[in-house]
Amino acid sequence: MSREVLLSVRDLRVDFPVGRKTFTAVRDVSFDVYRGETFSLVGESGSGKTTIGRAIMRIHPASAGEIRYRDRRVSGRIDAASERLLRQKIQMIFQDPMACLNERAKIDYIVSEGLYNFKLFRDEEERKEKVERALRDVGLLPEFATRFPHEFSGGQRQRIGIARALVMEPELLIADEPISALDVSIRAQVINLMNRLKREKNLTYFFIAHDLSVVRFISDRIAVIHRGRIVELAGAEDLFARPLHPYTRALLSAVPVPDPDAEAGKRPAGYDPARAHDYSRESPAWREALPGHFVLGTEGEAEEWARGA
Amino acid sequence: MIRTIPEVPAELFRPAAFDAEAAERTGYARYSYWRSTFRTFLKSPVSIFLLALIVVLTTASFVYPLFAHVDLGAVNLDTETWNLSPNRDHVFGTDGLGRDIWALTWYGTRTSLLLGFVIAILDVGIGMIAGALWGYVRKLDRIMTELYNVLNNIPQTVFLVLLAYIMRPGFWTIVTALCSTGWIGIARFVRNKVITIRDAEYNVASRCLGTPLRRMITRNVLPYLVSILIMEAALTIPYSIGSEVFLGFIGLGLPIDTISLGNLVNQGKNNFMLYPYQLTWPTVIMAAITVSFYIVGNRFSDASDPRNHV
Amino acid sequence: MSGETILEVRDLRVSFSLRGRRLTALRGASLDLRRGETLAVVGESGSGKSVLAKTFLGMLDRNGRVDSGSIFFDGKDLAGYSKERDWLAIRGKRIAMIFQDPMTALNPLKTVGEQIREAAALHRGLDRAASRAVVLETLDRVGIPDPELRYRQYPHEFSGGMRQRAVIAAAVACRPEILICDEPTTALDVTVQAQILDLIKSLQRELGMTVLFITHDLGVVASVAQRVAVMYSGQVIEEGTVREVFYDPRAPYTWALLASLPQLGVKGEELYSIRGTPPSLFKEVVGDAFAPRNPRALEVDFRFEPPVFPVSDTHWARTWLLDPRAPRIEAPETVRRLRARLARGTDGPETAGGGGAATGGGDSVQGGAE
Repeated sequence: MSREVLLSVRDLRVDFPVGRKTFTAVRDVSFDVYRGETFSLVGESGSGKTTIGRAIMRIHPASAGEIRYRDRRVSGRIDAASERLLRQKIQMIFQDPMACLNERAKIDYIVSEGLYNFKLFRDEEERKEKVERALRDVGLLPEFATRFPHEFSGGQRQRIGIARALVMEPELLIADEPISALDVSIRAQVINLMNRLKREKNLTYFFIAHDLSVVRFISDRIAVIHRGRIVELAGAEDLFARPLHPYTRALLSAVPVPDPDAEAGKRPAGYDPARAHDYSRESPAWREALPGHFVLGTEGEAEEWARGA
Repeated sequence: MIRTIPEVPAELFRPAAFDAEAAERTGYARYSYWRSTFRTFLKSPVSIFLLALIVVLTTASFVYPLFAHVDLGAVNLDTETWNLSPNRDHVFGTDGLGRDIWALTWYGTRTSLLLGFVIAILDVGIGMIAGALWGYVRKLDRIMTELYNVLNNIPQTVFLVLLAYIMRPGFWTIVTALCSTGWIGIARFVRNKVITIRDAEYNVASRCLGTPLRRMITRNVLPYLVSILIMEAALTIPYSIGSEVFLGFIGLGLPIDTISLGNLVNQGKNNFMLYPYQLTWPTVIMAAITVSFYIVGNRFSDASDPRNHV
Repeated sequence: MSGETILEVRDLRVSFSLRGRRLTALRGASLDLRRGETLAVVGESGSGKSVLAKTFLGMLDRNGRVDSGSIFFDGKDLAGYSKERDWLAIRGKRIAMIFQDPMTALNPLKTVGEQIREAAALHRGLDRAASRAVVLETLDRVGIPDPELRYRQYPHEFSGGMRQRAVIAAAVACRPEILICDEPTTALDVTVQAQILDLIKSLQRELGMTVLFITHDLGVVASVAQRVAVMYSGQVIEEGTVREVFYDPRAPYTWALLASLPQLGVKGEELYSIRGTPPSLFKEVVGDAFAPRNPRALEVDFRFEPPVFPVSDTHWARTWLLDPRAPRIEAPETVRRLRARLARGTDGPETAGGGGAATGGGDSVQGGAE
């Protein structure tokens, strides 16, 4: 069974100018996202995970490499039709529900913004109908449309952000840490909502997060990113059962799980790239260490890690 | 620990009905930005008084010339009516040409306010658009910053004097002189504000939705600037009026036949030792206007800050 | 673990005046802190957990006041303290606090070593040489390599994790009896967080310090605490040992909190989701504050505030479900699964290094569902 590749990233590099020098936030990043899956990118702050999401959305230009969506190039210079496809079919959900909505606009405008941009409605009536449907889809009341964002709580605002994406009838949702700024009691609401929408609307998720233990619950495949490079990519359960790369192991052991017995006697495994690897003779490369389980390392490392698993 | 069980009726120990939609409704509070801004602003009696003063003075100065049948251009050779102290017929007295200072003051106020309003609208209008583009379009930043440095480093007085010599003295000369340097200050102010909100998540969200630049500026940026722009305008008006008086003072103001507060103050200054009231009244009115605008502008900017809202 | 009570909080009520309105932050919170233990206070934002900790140090904002209740520490009632001079004998010296953002505690214009030395000299009455030696020893103890060099550096030369270590060193150098940690790892990356948690645990063990750890992260609670107090809307609603609260929770809010965790959920199934939002702190709460969001609420919850019901010698909860007249109400699925582990005993098998521990924990939760 061959699955359809919806989004394909190849050798992506993103540079930022810092004074006269350039800082490379992301390098040699390649992965595919298949239609219908939840693909998660996990890393710590400064790892470049948000940059990748924003490079796909063309907020940050790709310095090298290529991003294709439904086999159409969407990075670099592109024509209006590709831009239109991208802006319609790929939508983003943001981290901070307090900052991601325009405070001076009513919910009606916020949710309609994309519809206005591409004239995705015949008349005013149809637009209102679409806004109402989107609000209902995320469990909000249609009467909220006439209100301003600051009237709502964090969880409700996050759902308004999701409604703004849904109204465009997207295929791929890029969710950049959509629950990390929410209170614990609100998180489950948003996770359940995202899972339900995925089923009902056949969505594909590209999920960006820092918390591996939360990601496990929602993901089909997980990629771990460290300092701008993906170091491991595997099926979610496979990654938890057999973490190969020392950084993944360090990350897994560092996340505290809400289970006192499991935490008792647990010692975090540290990760020091200088000590963990010897890349003086051979540079690490992207390899399939086990079927469907990729790591960044030398040939020797990949074999050794696979044997230990 | 306390182990008391209060007297609670036993029949209450049964499951209650749960209303999920009610739980949803509890989340929000009614709040309107502008309503709260005005409510906070109007809370202070000082603000209300000064705002009323501005409205009264402005209305009066524009309405008075419509009803007063005083020909201030008429040549009056009757020396009896020259330099009269305030009396029943002339509440503010008369000047060296026998003109009623009460009437002169209203005409002068009208000219000065008009000047202030025109300059404020031009400064803020140009400054707002230029500043929004300056902040939003990264390529413009270098050019605009250089322009700002050039304009900002020429002493204002030298610039005004030069312009007043090159162009003929007149209303639009002063407008041009003050606006040609005034807008860039506001533009820079707007630019700094725009830069702080440009990369806010809601703007990134709009860019992800493909919102065009024009709508980004009108819907995402300018609404956040309205309050500070109102304040800037409110502060530009007294500044312009003051500048006109200053220019009149150094002899570069409006032509002597135009009645403005600047010319009145300038004349009054010449006769101050003999007829102090000729300087007093125009100055008092001018001070009242500038101070009112200044305080109202500042109060408004405080009120427009959501942190000061209840 | 069952030391004497070092800090006893009873029915503490704290309110703030905010532009003419009164915001009630604590509505009769009670808590016992025992000598030598780590007690975690968990709650969402607005639950009052940080305000509670600030009252122990007299650090409430100026518009806040203790309305009633008591905080007994060493025979004295801190709730009655009003003079700054009284607090100086406590703050930093006997009770120290570290915050989420280490930069708020460090002066950017002074070297890190000098700042810690001044605090240590002040609180412990040491001379220059002695306090310097204490600081170097403490820097080493909190895992800052090359203390001699670090002593002379400024805060901006430290990374985020190192800054938090320095702040911990500053707190520990004064040998306080109680160390309050207010979300000290929330701003840090997980790998750095793990190191800091490890450090706090080892300091507590080695120095016999009493730690009050404030957090919203139940994973962190499971990692550092021996006992837990769960807060909701200005009250402690459940207190017990960490195993009692995680494996045998009694209050519906604690149930909901645990059941909504994706880490404890079963993949492909719905999580237990808590509807609505916490009540406004400006409004008077009648009955159980969680009742409007609780589908399992009883009618009595809407009318009367539940008192404290003991579950065991070490475990109590504020919920009418513990009243003998209450009907049997089933806990959510996840909580019932967790209960099975209570019997399993404390000496868990998880000692493996690397990812083994985390994986083992996650697996058995999910295994239990089948």
